[in-house]
Amino acid sequence: MRDKLLHAPPDLDLFATDRPRLDDALTRRVNADPEKLERGLAQLVLTIVELLRQLMERQALRRIDGGGLSEEEVERLGRTFMELDKRMEQLRTEFGLDEEDLNLNLGPLGNLL
Amino acid sequence: MIDLYAITDDPAPPLSEPLTAVASHGLAVVCGPAEDGEVTAEVLWRHEEVVEALMEERDLLPVRFGTRVDDETAAARALGDRHVQLAGALDRVRGAVELSVRVIGHAGGDDLRAKAAAAAAVHGPLSQEARASTQLIPREPSELLRAAYLVDRASVDSFVAHVARLQEANPRLRLLCTGPWPAYSFAES
Repeated sequence: MRDKLLHAPPDLDLFATDRPRLDDALTRRVNADPEKLERGLAQLVLTIVELLRQLMERQALRRIDGGGLSEEEVERLGRTFMELDKRMEQLRTEFGLDEEDLNLNLGPLGNLL
Repeated sequence: MIDLYAITDDPAPPLSEPLTAVASHGLAVVCGPAEDGEVTAEVLWRHEEVVEALMEERDLLPVRFGTRVDDETAAARALGDRHVQLAGALDRVRGAVELSVRVIGHAGGDDLRAKAAAAAAVHGPLSQEARASTQLIPREPSELLRAAYLVDRASVDSFVAHVARLQEANPRLRLLCTGPWPAYSFAES
């Protein structure tokens, strides 16, 4: 196999891979590991669902605070969110994701959730 | 089923077994029998090595790994459908190869200013030496810059020498340059 290193610093291991050739060659392609791909997709979708869930929950809390809801409606909302929470937990477990996995790093803007 | 490897001019130097060329509209697509089975790093490497061997003696547009069509008729149709764009793209990369440069620094990739400084110190001057350049999204947190350059085959040595000079001038940064690669980052318009 031809060496693809044209210029490398002496402390090459700083680049987190001792196989920059492989790294460079492979990152130009889709992530072709189907299992990882599926998990990545699930992670993204669940992150977005979690974002929506949190937004809805905040909205509901505001409406409860505003006093515009009857006791029964508040009760129903609470149950709904509990159910959603439980369901999210099930999905997370199914895909082997932790609560911290459901987030997106937006760089300088911080984390999404 | 056949796998597609690269798009080249037609005619082009002859191919060795089991590769075949399907020609249409002055272009040829290099095909090989589809390999079934699990996609592993090994399999990706074999694809890469086929494309790199082709690259030694002809100009080409690399085809993304896993591009597969039913038969040679379908391969010719794929060429015919996009022959204007493909011929234009092949002209753009003609006589050039892709070089990859990555930069890491002590500041770490979270620091926007460090990223901007690395881009100014490294990407700016190197872009001047390249026919085209593009910044890619860093994949490691410590990376300040990840970029690809389309460089004339004859200018690869002077480009690498420039990288070495930039390394000397920027002792706080670490520069890594790899290649030559097929022009993956410049194959699409």
